[in-house]
Amino acid sequence: MAVETSDSFEALEAQAAVIMAVFNEAAYERVAPSIIQPADIFLDAVGERLRARTYVFSDQDGEMLCLRPDITVPTARIYLQRHPGADVAARYCYNGSVFRYQPGGGSPAHPREFRQAGIELYAQIDEAKADAEVLLRTLEAVQRAGLKAPKLRIGDLGLFDALLDAVDIPDRWRQRLLAQFWRPEAFRAELKRLSTVPGSAVEGLPTDLVAKLDPAAPGKAEALVQDYLDRNGIEAIGTRTVSEIADRLLSIAEDARSVPLPKAIADLIENYLAISAPVRAAGARIKDLFQRNDIDIGEALDAFERRLSLLTKGGANIAQATFDAEFGRQFEYYTGFVFEICSDELGPASPIAGGGRYDELLRVIGAPEAIPAVGAAIYTDRLLLAAGGGQT
Amino acid sequence: MSDPLILAVPSKGRLMEQTTEVLARAGLVLKKVGSERGYRGIVEGVEGVEVIFVSASEIVEQLKAGRAHLGVTGEDLAREQVSDMEKRFQVMRKLGFGHADVVVAVPAAWIDVRVMSDLEAVGRDFRRVHGRHLRVATKYMNITRRHFQANGITSYRIVESLGATEGTPAAGTAELIVDITTTGTTLKANGLKVLGDGVLLRSEATLFSSRAADWTPDTRATLAEIARHIANL
Repeated sequence: MAVETSDSFEALEAQAAVIMAVFNEAAYERVAPSIIQPADIFLDAVGERLRARTYVFSDQDGEMLCLRPDITVPTARIYLQRHPGADVAARYCYNGSVFRYQPGGGSPAHPREFRQAGIELYAQIDEAKADAEVLLRTLEAVQRAGLKAPKLRIGDLGLFDALLDAVDIPDRWRQRLLAQFWRPEAFRAELKRLSTVPGSAVEGLPTDLVAKLDPAAPGKAEALVQDYLDRNGIEAIGTRTVSEIADRLLSIAEDARSVPLPKAIADLIENYLAISAPVRAAGARIKDLFQRNDIDIGEALDAFERRLSLLTKGGANIAQATFDAEFGRQFEYYTGFVFEICSDELGPASPIAGGGRYDELLRVIGAPEAIPAVGAAIYTDRLLLAAGGGQT
Repeated sequence: MSDPLILAVPSKGRLMEQTTEVLARAGLVLKKVGSERGYRGIVEGVEGVEVIFVSASEIVEQLKAGRAHLGVTGEDLAREQVSDMEKRFQVMRKLGFGHADVVVAVPAAWIDVRVMSDLEAVGRDFRRVHGRHLRVATKYMNITRRHFQANGITSYRIVESLGATEGTPAAGTAELIVDITTTGTTLKANGLKVLGDGVLLRSEATLFSSRAADWTPDTRATLAEIARHIANL
């Protein structure tokens, strides 16, 4: 909802004051990132789903800019400006507008301009503790703003990473599956291909050339490819080099000579991703599934359990929460714990708040390495509706 | 005085000539009003039509805004400029000229790349080696975005190109292109090949009607008469 009347504006401001007070009490420093952001750094950091909805434009100097489609990236930029080494723990909070393209121009339920208030916690080494802190503060904020019965849903992308790490699978396949994780259909297709006909990508390629490519002698590949191009009168143009083309052909040739991924591993991955249950039951099912398959992801599972007990200790009603193994898949920058808070009033399609861990983001926008980071955003227009403050 | 039906037709070049020819064959003879260089006209023998001569891409805007009831323009422009074209325009008739395919073309030397789905893997490798995304040069930014998204391709960035797009890979300002082609000769001459499933759109000059226009009993009656003529084509 765009804030178009002074009544709703004042109601939102009053609510924001309550939320920001909760964050300030917890030592989160208020920052006010710019609405106009450089387009490139932003588009690099967010996933395709958000990128397709970002308003991008160029100014009179031809510089590519965008209206921020979220406040997490702009806040991370402030942190990096202050701490280029990203080596200092910091807590920031914010409240402001974000802008997202809506097909057909936007509607009251799907506005192209709406507001978010949120927190970000950087470089906190105890990750389970940081995850729990961010969720607890967010819960406290929405409840103090009047939300009666928050419904909690959580996921953990770290468990999936740990699972892929623990199973016996060629590393290049692991990387491919990880890269496709964000697109469930493509992921399923790739998993099926690897477990049935891993060499299918070889179809349609020059057979004589592929037969000559030897994964055990990668050094010879480039000359073979160059020779093929010369014989067929094809000029190599552009920035992608013959050596890069040879590398990819080598990996396809290697696939063609590999035995398929065992069906048991493909099933294990599918079965894990299908888990959706109340948190405690889901934890038991994960443990059981991994034990039966002789998979040890001890640390990741311990972190999961420890986070739950910290949340319980902090007063969150964890018994009522749901766990979805697939949850978090639609936001490319999340790397670990993810959560959302819904309401009875607006239903599961319109979360009141959402957040999670995004350890890669700071590196993508310029930090020297991956930095622990976790944050959450409250959709304050929705919160106002759900908490009943919208009706004046 | 009845409400006029506004018909927008291209104002210059081959597109104008061919539009005039085809409509004349259907018995709709366009005649400019006032000077030869003017931009308004009538249809001889059909009452109540006001013809406006505007550029092909402006015709799309006129139809979108409902300022024109009917318009002749390329489907490529319509799909590029209107994200939900089916909802806003109706195709009255494909006119059989102005054929052009909007295609995805990559360097012919990319012998490892045959179909769209290869681009995602190549894009990821390219980003690792070069530290940036594959660049796609095109003037069809929206068509490109929609089709790449539908094919699950995310590791790319569009660079806008308003001319000589087929030369950008060799010049090193883009890695691949989305462009219009009729015979494919120019692509070949520039060391490029079209991907197996890389034809995004087979476009031709099309007579569109606008759902946003003001359809009164008068304009509907005029539309029916034009439709009768067009049916003779």
